Amino acid sequence: MAGLAGCTGGGGGGGGGGGGSDEDYPALGNYPIEGNTAVFGFNVPQSGPYASEGEDELRAYELAVKHLNEGGGWVDTQFDDLSGDGVLGYEIDHVDGDTATDADQARQSASGMIQRDNAIMISGGSSSAVAIAVQGLCQNEKVMFMACLTHSNDTTGKDCVRYSFREMFNAYMTGQALAPVVKEAYGEGLSFYQLYADYSWGQTQQASMEQFMTDVAGWEQVESVATPLGTTDYSTYLSEAQSSGADVLILNHYGLDGANSIQQAVDAGINEDMEIIVPLYNRPMAEAAGGAIEGVYGTLAWDSQIDNTPSKEFTDAFQSEYDRIPSGPAQVAYAQTLQYAAAVERAGTFYPPEVIKQLEDYEYDNIGMGAETMRGCDHQAQRDVPVVKGLPGSEQEAGKYYEIVNITSRDDLGYACDAGPAAECELGSYE
Amino acid sequence: MSILSDIFVILLNGLQQGAIYVLLAVGLSIILGTLKFVNFAHGALYLIGTYAGLFVALNVPLSNGKLYEWGLSSIGLDWGFFAALLLVPLLVFVVGLLMERFVARPFYDRPDTDQILVTFGLAIVVQELFRILFGSNSLPFDQPERILSFGSFAGIPVSGPVALPIVGNFPQWRLWVIGITAVLVALVYLLVEYTDFGLVVRAGTRDAEMVRLLGIKITRPYIVVFGIGAALAGVAGVVGGPLNVVNPTIGTNILVPAFLTVVIGGVGSIAGAVVGGIVFGLTTAALVSLAPAWSQVGLYAIAAIVLLTRPQGLLGDEEVAP
Repeated sequence: MAGLAGCTGGGGGGGGGGGGSDEDYPALGNYPIEGNTAVFGFNVPQSGPYASEGEDELRAYELAVKHLNEGGGWVDTQFDDLSGDGVLGYEIDHVDGDTATDADQARQSASGMIQRDNAIMISGGSSSAVAIAVQGLCQNEKVMFMACLTHSNDTTGKDCVRYSFREMFNAYMTGQALAPVVKEAYGEGLSFYQLYADYSWGQTQQASMEQFMTDVAGWEQVESVATPLGTTDYSTYLSEAQSSGADVLILNHYGLDGANSIQQAVDAGINEDMEIIVPLYNRPMAEAAGGAIEGVYGTLAWDSQIDNTPSKEFTDAFQSEYDRIPSGPAQVAYAQTLQYAAAVERAGTFYPPEVIKQLEDYEYDNIGMGAETMRGCDHQAQRDVPVVKGLPGSEQEAGKYYEIVNITSRDDLGYACDAGPAAECELGSYE
Repeated sequence: MSILSDIFVILLNGLQQGAIYVLLAVGLSIILGTLKFVNFAHGALYLIGTYAGLFVALNVPLSNGKLYEWGLSSIGLDWGFFAALLLVPLLVFVVGLLMERFVARPFYDRPDTDQILVTFGLAIVVQELFRILFGSNSLPFDQPERILSFGSFAGIPVSGPVALPIVGNFPQWRLWVIGITAVLVALVYLLVEYTDFGLVVRAGTRDAEMVRLLGIKITRPYIVVFGIGAALAGVAGVVGGPLNVVNPTIGTNILVPAFLTVVIGGVGSIAGAVVGGIVFGLTTAALVSLAPAWSQVGLYAIAAIVLLTRPQGLLGDEEVAP
């Protein structure tokens, strides 16, 4: 029964009859897929302050596509739903775009993938501003978005959408995971000063750090100052922080910005007077900052040092393909692509509402971060969060820049569906 | 803590940020003033200077780009910063000569727009070349620990914080940046104002035709002017490199502030470039301190105000001939 109700929405994909088993559902977005190839769109920053992260994400995406089509990696070992022979009999192809870490460009790029390339799924990050812009577009176009590197509370909070899922934890959980660790390390009754990147992620990151450093660590905020995204010289901001008399400096900067601000803080000798915290780390950023991250606490998506079978398998697969150790963003990119493909297999169709239902409240333990739930109420993965501490320059080597201090259990993190960022989430319609 | 120390910190930070702009703007300005050539590839010369500085001074691990794929896990000679400070300007000077001969010279008599297009294109080619070779990843350019260490002489420590009266701790290297800039700019000023070479260059700026009629082969001073301008951008790359992490986009990022500095100071004027750079640096530092949200707008606001009230720039001459 070919449904006629699918004429809503603006999906521009060809509405003609597609594959054999797809007739149960109406046309929606780019469903049904024409031909025998399903196209995934990978929308990552290939230029701008987060370009290094984007480059590694793209490697992981391409590896995921290869494994989906030919087997290998987690497809063989961790994902029972996947065969290594495409997805539902469709070969997987991909297109990639450059978001340039800019929301408008990212939206245009994603729009092109949806309209021109008929992408059935979009995945990407970095930058929450980008992810939020693209997931809004995907909701309107009824195309699924598997968020990669986005850490703002708003992604699955006030800006959440039905068509987007997030594996990465958020700023709120970073605050929850860091507060006990830094309280233990530095003591109670301290004062802290924050610098934060002035956009969606930085703002929620700043708010979450303020909340948990105050409530859990019992510290007091002296001041909090916004810095524009893409700032290269933080010296005056840092001088202000230094003369504030605060005990702790929290640098809510990421990517290249984070590498610059921490290196300049250390050059100014701030680490002699104050303790520095960088709430969210990743590998390219640590690599660029070099020895400046010595002793600095933060959280990160995933690291190849995490000791379990899926993590080892992913590291091996990535290393044999690219001769390099994968970063956290790469692991999220790879995991999100396979998660989507496996959900399609379980649903038995690419029809987005059915795939969404397969992901909502799905429980899994196969991507190297322990037992997880992709929560149905806000599409936020409930998962453990690794807390790390930067190694001195002399102990750093390729792929190893910090030591894992604690993998904070998901039982100690998160919030109820009617609390925290989730309280503001309205997911929107399935169709 | 006190207002006085705040003011001093803003002054020092402003001077330091201005210093890099000054080094770039002096080069841009003498090329633009003397050769009437709009060099949008000046940022690319800065980029070359930074990477060359990194290469000579340090040995850094690579994890990206073609060089890595070809089996180089690290690059660099590890000869120290002083060597970089001597060698890189020479290298970029030669790059400047080549650029003058093969890129600029065919475009001298063409409209500004052609010059902008060809140099901007060149800048992008250089940037992408570096991206291919070294990857998009940023490399850490550690500040030099010491300079001038020879044999038993341990050298002068230049990195880490130094305790200043009133101000408190200040990153020492930033003071050196101010000092090195001051010396170099003074040298260029002396060269242009008090030598025969400078005389020809200045005369050429006023009326190139007349200088030619006097029997002076003006192409030779021109190519040297271009080389000197390029070398200054190279030095800016070497001394400015360790202030930030290094990646292929730094050249493009610094181009606009450098041009605005020239505009504010006045085209062709060395003193103007210095004043423009200092005004720029101080404005940014003061706004960051007082009204961070406006810090990026400040540069453009100042440039707009100067252009509206004094189109030739603060110290620029009014155009003598069309």
